[in-house]
Amino acid sequence: MIFNQPPFQEESTVLIKVPSWANDVFENYLICEFTSISDGKPVTFPLLFFYESSTGLFTVTSSILFSRKIENIRDNSKVSLLFSNPTGSGIAKHAVLVQGVARLEEEDLDHGWERFLTDWREKEPYIDSFLAEREKFGWFWKRIVVRVEPKKILAWKDGNTAVNPEVFK
Amino acid sequence: MRGPTIDFKRLSEFKYAIINAVGEDGFPFSLPTDFELTPQKEILLRKPAANLPILGKKVGVLFNHISAIPTGGYTDRKYMLLWGRLNDQKGRLKLEPESITEWDEKILPFGELCAKAAPQGQKYLQTVRQIEA
Repeated sequence: MIFNQPPFQEESTVLIKVPSWANDVFENYLICEFTSISDGKPVTFPLLFFYESSTGLFTVTSSILFSRKIENIRDNSKVSLLFSNPTGSGIAKHAVLVQGVARLEEEDLDHGWERFLTDWREKEPYIDSFLAEREKFGWFWKRIVVRVEPKKILAWKDGNTAVNPEVFK
Repeated sequence: MRGPTIDFKRLSEFKYAIINAVGEDGFPFSLPTDFELTPQKEILLRKPAANLPILGKKVGVLFNHISAIPTGGYTDRKYMLLWGRLNDQKGRLKLEPESITEWDEKILPFGELCAKAAPQGQKYLQTVRQIEA
């Protein structure tokens, strides 16, 4: 496929330093609320995400079945990931917003996303039972990898958005 | 203008709302906040502190829920995403809903959701083929 975009350059330089409590959010929250932009309109859905602490990059994957967000990103690569829901994470409620630029990896829809399977299992231990039915859910397992390089992070300790956030660039 | 059909009983079961807008820098911006539903079926949101240009603008408001599974992971996925405009009402933000999309896996099981989404998958693959041709 020809949609594959070049990887971020100097991936090790994108890391934005945040307080440890915000880092705990990235390491432990199960889902984020991912926003892409469609004709100037924000489109937000809850998504599983993966965080790479060594580079600070975030990754979500998208089935081709739910690929409108991919169309949006092709038109406008500015996206955001909000971390507001601590359910199942075992840590306290905070709110952290990551605004960044997304790059699509569509070269290998069948296997490109599999390098995140270990992290996926940690968040959803039952995912292997779905994988066992890969034939049945064939198009669900055709997945685009979306890598997000953060440009700005806004963090509200204890999730208190009645106060101004701490901002990190 | 007549708004979308909203199941207010289901909406009342969500714990908080997330206001989503596009900021002046062109990046999306999301803010969690509290909300309440009035007997008149108004959706009122607590004003976040951040100085966002959201009054009168088209925004999305997401209500999202998952339940934790003790052995790991989560279930009971459901969300409502309302688009509309926010107006100041006595220190709160009143949402005037214009459209809605939603999913509750107890109502539409995941397998059926995937089947329903097949046209989008087909569209994706057709687009790829056209570009490759």
